[in-house]
Amino acid sequence: MNIDITDVTRRFGRTRAVAGVTMSAGPGVLGLLGPNGAGKTSLLRMLATVIPPTSGRIRLLERDPGVAAQRRAIRRRLGYVPQHLGYYPSFTVVEFVEYFALLKEVPAAQVPRAVATAVERVGLGDKARARMRTLSGGMLRRAGIAQAIVNDPELLLLDEPTAGLDPEQRVAFRGLLRDLGQTATVVVSTHLVEDVGAACAQVALMDGGRIVFHGTPQELTARGEGRTAAGDAPLERGYSTVLAEARS
Amino acid sequence: MTAATVEDRGPGRAWVAGAARLMRIELRRNAMIWMLPVAGVLFWALTYRRSMALAPLWNVRAMTMQSTTIAVFIPTVTGVAAWTGTREARRRLTDLLSVTSRSRWRRQLASWAATTAWALGCYLACVGVLYGVTATQATGSGPPWWPVLVGAASVPALAALGFTAGTVLPSRYTPPLVAMGAFLMFEAGLELVHGAGSPWQISPLVTGPYQLGDYEGLATFYPYLPDLPIAQVIFLVGLTLALLGILGLPSLAGGRWPRLVAAALTVTGVLSAATATALAGTGRLDPHGMIAIPALHNAADDRPVAYTPVCSHTAIPVCLHPAYRAYLGAVSTDLAPLLDELAGVPGAPARIAQTTTTYRWTDDGIDIATSAWTMHGTPPVYTIVLPNQAGEPALSVDQSANRVKGRIARDLVTAVVGGGSDPAQQAVTAGVLKGVRPVLGSEPPDLGRRITPNTPAAVAAQRFAALPVGTRHAWLVVHAADLKAGRITLDQLP
Amino acid sequence: MTRLVHLHLASRRVPAALAALAGCAIVLWAALHRHWDAYGALQLPLLFETACASVVAIATASPFGDPERVTGHRLPWLRMATAVTLTIAAAAVLAATGIGTDLAGGTTTAVRNLAGLTGLGLLCAALLGGALAWIAPVAYALLGVYALYTQWHGPALTSPCIWPGRPGDDLGGALCSGIVLCAGLVAIAIRGARDTPPPAG
Repeated sequence: MNIDITDVTRRFGRTRAVAGVTMSAGPGVLGLLGPNGAGKTSLLRMLATVIPPTSGRIRLLERDPGVAAQRRAIRRRLGYVPQHLGYYPSFTVVEFVEYFALLKEVPAAQVPRAVATAVERVGLGDKARARMRTLSGGMLRRAGIAQAIVNDPELLLLDEPTAGLDPEQRVAFRGLLRDLGQTATVVVSTHLVEDVGAACAQVALMDGGRIVFHGTPQELTARGEGRTAAGDAPLERGYSTVLAEARS
Repeated sequence: MTAATVEDRGPGRAWVAGAARLMRIELRRNAMIWMLPVAGVLFWALTYRRSMALAPLWNVRAMTMQSTTIAVFIPTVTGVAAWTGTREARRRLTDLLSVTSRSRWRRQLASWAATTAWALGCYLACVGVLYGVTATQATGSGPPWWPVLVGAASVPALAALGFTAGTVLPSRYTPPLVAMGAFLMFEAGLELVHGAGSPWQISPLVTGPYQLGDYEGLATFYPYLPDLPIAQVIFLVGLTLALLGILGLPSLAGGRWPRLVAAALTVTGVLSAATATALAGTGRLDPHGMIAIPALHNAADDRPVAYTPVCSHTAIPVCLHPAYRAYLGAVSTDLAPLLDELAGVPGAPARIAQTTTTYRWTDDGIDIATSAWTMHGTPPVYTIVLPNQAGEPALSVDQSANRVKGRIARDLVTAVVGGGSDPAQQAVTAGVLKGVRPVLGSEPPDLGRRITPNTPAAVAAQRFAALPVGTRHAWLVVHAADLKAGRITLDQLP
Repeated sequence: MTRLVHLHLASRRVPAALAALAGCAIVLWAALHRHWDAYGALQLPLLFETACASVVAIATASPFGDPERVTGHRLPWLRMATAVTLTIAAAAVLAATGIGTDLAGGTTTAVRNLAGLTGLGLLCAALLGGALAWIAPVAYALLGVYALYTQWHGPALTSPCIWPGRPGDDLGGALCSGIVLCAGLVAIAIRGARDTPPPAG
C-alpha cells in the first residue's frame, strides 16, 4: 500500500483537526470529500510530510516519514499541490517547474525533458516561457500541478486542484488524474463532487476530523438513493446523506 | 522516478549537475541583480570619487577602497540577502518547498550563494575599475591585494548575515532593519577601537591603526603588512560559516548528517571568528605604521622594499620613492634655481632624498617620528619627508609640495651660508633666496628678511643679488666656508 | 468613519509598525547614553532615522490589492492619514530619544532628516511596492553618512539635496526634505503602494 495510516490524529492547540483516521490506499485515484473544516487539508499535509501527526502511525510508499532518510526517499517520489499555491513571480513556468524538479532530485540530465513533459501535460506548453506573475488563476493552478508531477510521483496529493479551472480544463484534468492513477496513488481533496464521480475509483468522506465513509463513488451514490437529502446529483445526495448520518 | 535513477550517473556527478542547474535558476532570478545599479552608483559616489581625489598612490587608494566599499556593501548586501531570506515565507511557498527531498539547507545555500555571487561580482567589478584607473596613474610598487581580499571575504559574510536574519525573522521589516542594524554594528565597532591591540579592529572597515586612518605614510617603503588582513579574513570566513551553519541546525533544515555538518560548521565558524578576534587583540603598532600580530607575523615583512628612486634633473637632484613620482615636479621645479646655485658649494648636499617615518604608540596617541631634515653621510644627503607621509592626509600634491619646498630652501641656505645674525650672512641669504622667494610661502617667516632697508647690509644684499648666477655660484664655492664661519664682512662681498 | 480608520490602520499592520518605531527609538536612546566620537555621534541618529522612515514606508503595503483600489474616494485620504500618522509617530519617538541625551543636531535635524527619508520611502513604495520601499532610504542614508564624514575630510558635500549633511537650521536642506516628503505623501495617497509583485521576488 502506498498509503497506510493508522489512528492518526493532529491537533493545533486545542483544536483537533484530524481525530483518529485509519486508511490505506494503493494505486488509483482517491477522492477526499468533506465540508469546510472537516480536516482534509490537515490530513493531506500529514500525508505530504509537511507536518507530523500528533499521534498515530503513518507509512507512505512502504516507508516511515518520521525517519529522516526514509522521509527523503518518500519526498523524491511525492507530488503535492497545496490549497494556496505560492510561487516566485519572476520565475517563468519552466523555471518554476524546473526548480521543483531539481529540489526533488530529478537527475539533472533528465530535468529538461521531465519539465517539458509536465508542462505539456497540464496544457501550458504555449506559456512555458511566460513569467508566473503574468499567468491567470487557472494557469497558475496548472503550473502548480506541473511541478507536482514533474518527478513522475508514485504518491500525488492534490488539495483543491480544480479550483479556478474552466470546465474544459477540468475535463482535461480529470483525464490526467485517471492517467496518473494507473501507476500512482492520487489523493484529491475537493469540494466538487462531480470531479470525484468522474475521476476517482475510491472516495473518502471526512467530517469533524474523521473518515465517515470510504468506498467507491457508486457506493456513496447508493447511500443517497431513496433519501431526501440535499443535492442535484445522485452523488451529492449520497454525500449529504452520509454527512447527515454522521452528525446524527 | 526512483531513487535508483538518481544515482545512475554516479552520485557525485548527479549532485554537481543538479546543484549547477539550481544555481543557474537562482542566479537568473536573484534580487541582487536589481540592487547592482544602486551599489554601483553608491560606489561611484562614495569610493571612486573620493579615491580619485587622493594622490595616485596604491597604498592610500587601496585602504580607502577597502573601508568605503565595504561600507557601501554592508547595507546593500545585507538588505537584499535578508529580502531573499524572507522569500519563501513571503511567497507562501514554505509548505510546497518543505515536501521536496532536497534539504531546506541546501536550498537556502543555493539562494545565499547566488546572492553572494552577484554581490561579489559587483564588488570585483567596482574594485577592478578603481584599480584599473589607479594602475594608469600610480607608479612604483604594484597594487596591494590584501584590501581586495578582505572586501571579497566581507561580501559572503554580509550576505550570510542578512540571509540568516531574513530566514529566521521573515518579516517585511527585516530587510531595512537588518541593513541599518548591520551598518550600525560595524560603525559602532569602530568606536570601540582603542589602540593597536584592540580586538575590535577585526572589523573589515579597519585597514590599519584606526587613529591614523588611511594615509600615504604606510606600506610604501615597507610591505603592506598582511597580519591584520589575515585575521580579518579568518574572522569573516568564520562568521560566514557560523551563520550558514545556523541555517542548517533546525530539524526542518535536513536530515541527521546535514545537521551534524551544520553543527560542525557553526562550531568551526564560531571558533575561527573568536580566534581571529583574539589575534587582533594581540596586535601592536609596527614601527612602520601598520598592525603587526605576533602569531601571524612574518619577519620577512619587516625588511624594506627595494626600490630605485626617481630623481629630478636639477643640479642637486631631488630623489623620491617612485610611488611619489607625482610629487617630484611639484617639489623640484620651483627650487631648481636655488639647487643649481648651491650645487657643489661646501656644506650643500649632493642629493635630496626622501626618507621614511617611524611610529610609536604613546599615551597621547600615535607619535610619528622621522630622521628627516638633516644631512647624512658623505657625500652629504639631505633627507625629507612629505607632509602626507606624516599624518596629514587631506593635502593635495601641490599643497604637500609647497609645505616642503620652503623648508628645503631654508635648510639648504642655512647649511651653506649659516643662519646667524651676521650681516654678511644675511645679505648673501637674501640675495640667494631672491630667485625662489615666491615658493617659500610662510616658511621660513624671517629668513633673509631681517635686513633693515637702506642699511649697508641691504645695499650689499642688492649688490649680491644683482650678480649673475654663475658669478654668485663661483664666489660661494670659494667663500662659503669662511662666510659660514663669520669671517666675511659686508665689504668683502662682491 | 472611526471604525473605517481603525480597520485601515489594522490592515496596514500599524501596531507592528509602531512597535518597530518604538524599538528603534529605545535602541537609539540606549545608544546615546554611551560616549560616541564625533563621527559616530553624528551618524548614529541618521541610521535610526532611516530605519524609522523605512518602517513608515513599508507600512503602506496593502494586503488587498485591486479589491481595495476600486473602493472609492476615501482610500487616498486613508493612505495619506496612515502615512502622516506614522511619520508623526516616528518624529515623536525620535524627538523623545533626545530627552536627557545628546542627540546630535537636535530634534530639528532629526525631524528634517526623517521627513525627507520618509518621502523617499513613500516614493519608492509607489514605484516598487511597499515591501521594497526601504531601498531608497537605505541607499540615501549612505550618501548622508558620507556627507557627514566629509565635514571632517573634505571636500565637503554641501548640496541641500543631501540634507543630512546640512545644519539643522539650514533652509535649503529643510526645503528639499519637505518637498520630497510632500511628493511622497501625494504619490502614496493617489497611487498607493504598488501591488504587483516586483521582479526577482
